[in-house]
Amino acid sequence: MSAPFPHFIIIDDSQLDCFIGEKIIQNTGTYSSIKTYTQATDAYEHIKNSAPGPADAMTIIVLDIQMPVMNGFQFVEAFELLPEDIRSNYAIFMFSSSINESDKNRLENHPCIRKFYGKPISKEIVSSLVNAV
Amino acid sequence: MEKQEKIKILYVDDEINNLTGFKASFRMSYNIMIAVNATDAMEHLNSHPDIRVIFCDQRMPGKTGVQFFEEIRSRYPKPIRILLTGYADIESVIDSINLGNVFRYVKKPWKDADILGAINEANKFYVSNSLLAVKNEELQKAYNELDKFSYSVTHDMRGPLLSILGAIEAAQHIEDISEIRKMLLMMKDSVRNLDDFIKSVHDYYNLNRGELEIKEIDFNEIVKEQTRIFNFTYLVSDVEFKPSIEQKETFRGDEVSIKLILNNLLSNAFKYQKRDNKEKLVELKILVENGKAVIEITDNGVGIDKNYVGDIFNMFFRASSQEVGSGFGLYNVKAAVTKLNGKITVDSEINKGTSFKVTIQNK
Repeated sequence: MSAPFPHFIIIDDSQLDCFIGEKIIQNTGTYSSIKTYTQATDAYEHIKNSAPGPADAMTIIVLDIQMPVMNGFQFVEAFELLPEDIRSNYAIFMFSSSINESDKNRLENHPCIRKFYGKPISKEIVSSLVNAV
Repeated sequence: MEKQEKIKILYVDDEINNLTGFKASFRMSYNIMIAVNATDAMEHLNSHPDIRVIFCDQRMPGKTGVQFFEEIRSRYPKPIRILLTGYADIESVIDSINLGNVFRYVKKPWKDADILGAINEANKFYVSNSLLAVKNEELQKAYNELDKFSYSVTHDMRGPLLSILGAIEAAQHIEDISEIRKMLLMMKDSVRNLDDFIKSVHDYYNLNRGELEIKEIDFNEIVKEQTRIFNFTYLVSDVEFKPSIEQKETFRGDEVSIKLILNNLLSNAFKYQKRDNKEKLVELKILVENGKAVIEITDNGVGIDKNYVGDIFNMFFRASSQEVGSGFGLYNVKAAVTKLNGKITVDSEINKGTSFKVTIQNK
């Protein structure tokens, strides 16, 4: 029996990037559900209110770094304060078009960030995300 | 010509006759302060931070001139230090000059011409040092801005490009033409954002490097032009635009800056509307009287969270994700207002709307 495909949450202030991510993931076929958020605060609320305890499948978070109001790192910091039985259902992957030195250092300070990828998201990246969880 | 203040010079000597002689000889051309000992000298230095040149006698009871200079050097680095001394002390003078405590020395008894020459040289040195310090500060500021700038520029320019690249990639696997159309619309937005950003960078440079070009301003003309621009670039058909202009006198100012202010504030007012609002409204009031122009732009849009109002004029700050802003617009507006010696205030309430008020003086 094979495990169900992961859920996806895309958090990116660019509508186009959300749309592309959704399409690329849909094309791979390896997903249980896809949600997109242009505001990190909305995504955070959704996750905070999600059911604790083991879920049917892992949720992969595709997270943009530079966003207004709540940026990727602020989202991660808020996420880290959530109870363990919620956090364990999610795997965070950071995405950005560019990254500076201080952001690289910040990535290392947050073990819950699984990996950083340069934009744009591709089929190959989606399969590596699916394989990683 | 502007009346220039006399250069301030401090002379320290334990012999009162020398002090009065010095003052009598040079007080016409310079603002001369005198001190009989180090304590008095310190008092002058404290109350006159703009003293440019200090003359000090080498042989004074308790403390030599060289020692005095060494002591004040770190606390008062700006004034140029000149030692007055006879030949007997030449060794310590050489040491002192080599250590950088003394700019030059004038031998005693001095001749007026020597003193005048020394003041002249010292003043030139002082002026170029001060200019250098100002330039250094400017450079440091420019460097800091450049750091922030280059990161954000790469991000903000690559962002839309990579989005479009991703969209092209994704489009290869989409059969549904309506999906493709939807994507094309978003790609168009991306291209426009990139273009807006590049225009803002251009504005930024014009503001920082460009000179003011003062000429007569016809606000009616400017608003007409802006209205044309907005009808083209934004889908403002569902936003009511109410301009009212009352220009009671001739106004002179820098047209480029004024246009930039209007353009950015208006485009924000059009952009940050509540999507489901049936009566979207942008009001523009311009009143020119009593030597100033007051421009008020009010919308009933999304408003700004009060936690962010203080940051909106900062470079690259974005308080909303409803529209992809460059984080440059209001920064440029503020820079333009400052350049015109004007004032800008903002009043905003979340979900109620935002109002900007700009006041600029008639030149």
